[in-house]
Amino acid sequence: MSYKIPMGPYHPALEEPYKLDLICEGETVRDAKLHIGFNFRGIEHLAETRNYIQVIALMERVCGICSNIHTLTLCQAMEKLTGQTPPPRAQYIRVIMAELERLHSHVLWAGIAAKLMGFKTMFMTCFELREKVMDVLQAISGNRVNYSMNRIGGVNRDIDDPAALLIMIDVLEKEMVRKVIPIFTTSSTARSRCADIGVLTNAKAISLGVVGPVARASGVAQDLRRAAPYAAYAEMDFQVPVESAGDVRARLMVRALEIMESCNILRQALTKLPPGELNAGEGKLAFITGTATSRVEAPRGEVMYSVSWKEGSNKPARVHVRTPTFVNMPAIRSMVQGARLADTPLIQASIDPCYSCTDR
Amino acid sequence: MTVLEVVPETLLTTEPWEEKGGVHWSTASPLNVREVAKSMNALKARFITITAYEMPGDEGFRLEYHWDLDGKLLGFPFQLSGKSIESIYDLCEAVDWIEREIHEGFDLDFLGREYEPLLLRQGDTAGVNLREEAK
Repeated sequence: MSYKIPMGPYHPALEEPYKLDLICEGETVRDAKLHIGFNFRGIEHLAETRNYIQVIALMERVCGICSNIHTLTLCQAMEKLTGQTPPPRAQYIRVIMAELERLHSHVLWAGIAAKLMGFKTMFMTCFELREKVMDVLQAISGNRVNYSMNRIGGVNRDIDDPAALLIMIDVLEKEMVRKVIPIFTTSSTARSRCADIGVLTNAKAISLGVVGPVARASGVAQDLRRAAPYAAYAEMDFQVPVESAGDVRARLMVRALEIMESCNILRQALTKLPPGELNAGEGKLAFITGTATSRVEAPRGEVMYSVSWKEGSNKPARVHVRTPTFVNMPAIRSMVQGARLADTPLIQASIDPCYSCTDR
Repeated sequence: MTVLEVVPETLLTTEPWEEKGGVHWSTASPLNVREVAKSMNALKARFITITAYEMPGDEGFRLEYHWDLDGKLLGFPFQLSGKSIESIYDLCEAVDWIEREIHEGFDLDFLGREYEPLLLRQGDTAGVNLREEAK
């Protein structure tokens, strides 16, 4: 006999609202139905009521974790409509901010995953590390969540002392290598909670079009930083970690290795930071009529913005946001089929979902 | 051989494609959305999203379908004469949520599929134009 267990919308595991109806037989999950929309704020519609300065501040608030990525993607799209090209220093600063945000997001996720595994000490360790990343972000931008770094044609703030940031990156990397990665990769508790759990096969990952670490953990080697470089990524030397098992452990491994690669990219960008201007110029911008699209590899995967402009307007006619969780969340249904009920919170967390992004 | 069957060789260089605003747009006309989806499947392109536009006045709706082919962003525009278009969900399961979102937010119908359970909203009526509601 099957029975239904509703999980959410006020979620016991992940402190954001969404609902999962789990169809179970005994302790085994047979199927699941997902419901989203609890965070729907109508942001795409609101964007049509804001001018080209205000819309950047609005879209920064789509997400509290990858706020910088949203403004980066939006500004890149709007730069295509205004014909502006950010100067080299701005492109490097965009890479630095994006990688710091990836570090912050991945370490945050590692802490939450540790908590769901029953590793409370590890949770505290990860959040202590996250604080160090937040300190760097605050040192650069003056803010801890909405950094306000991106503008059309460049960035708003400079990085005055790259050498000081390099020291902070070294400390962070040392802590990751010494504490976090060994525990996640070698401890028997982490292995028993994560290995062969919540498997997403390569074929299913391709079929569902999942992105980011979820795709790369299922053997899909896609990363926009490599496939369609933006900002200064074409000048960075880095690896794209790929695992083939498709389970929670593979997703954990991909993110752990990406933390190391982010440190690598940050070191390169801070060392090679070119001198020069921060933006393409002041003054009123002229938008060409039409649609422009931009894609960026956010911590959770590909973000895409389509921005449409009408002639003579200072407001967008349409801003469409496709976030990574919007395409990764349907994969949860496949991941939980056949799983033990007790594993479902960790399986859901393993895609690093952001409901705020998904609902917009 | 159709236009879409020769995508990889001709994408950047020949007439039916135009690069604009970061997208390689197909200018072939008329396009059939299901044929496009089949061609993209054959090329192993990754579906990204559909962007819906409500055009001013009586111009109706425009849908832009996007796929990724080895890092290149492909775009296929469809001007809707009415308020419906064929669903490609049976050909491409990645399209599920965005078809449902557009149905629930723009009141457009993707023919040949079901929407239950509702993705975003509660209630009996699935298709509602939220922009009209907000006026």
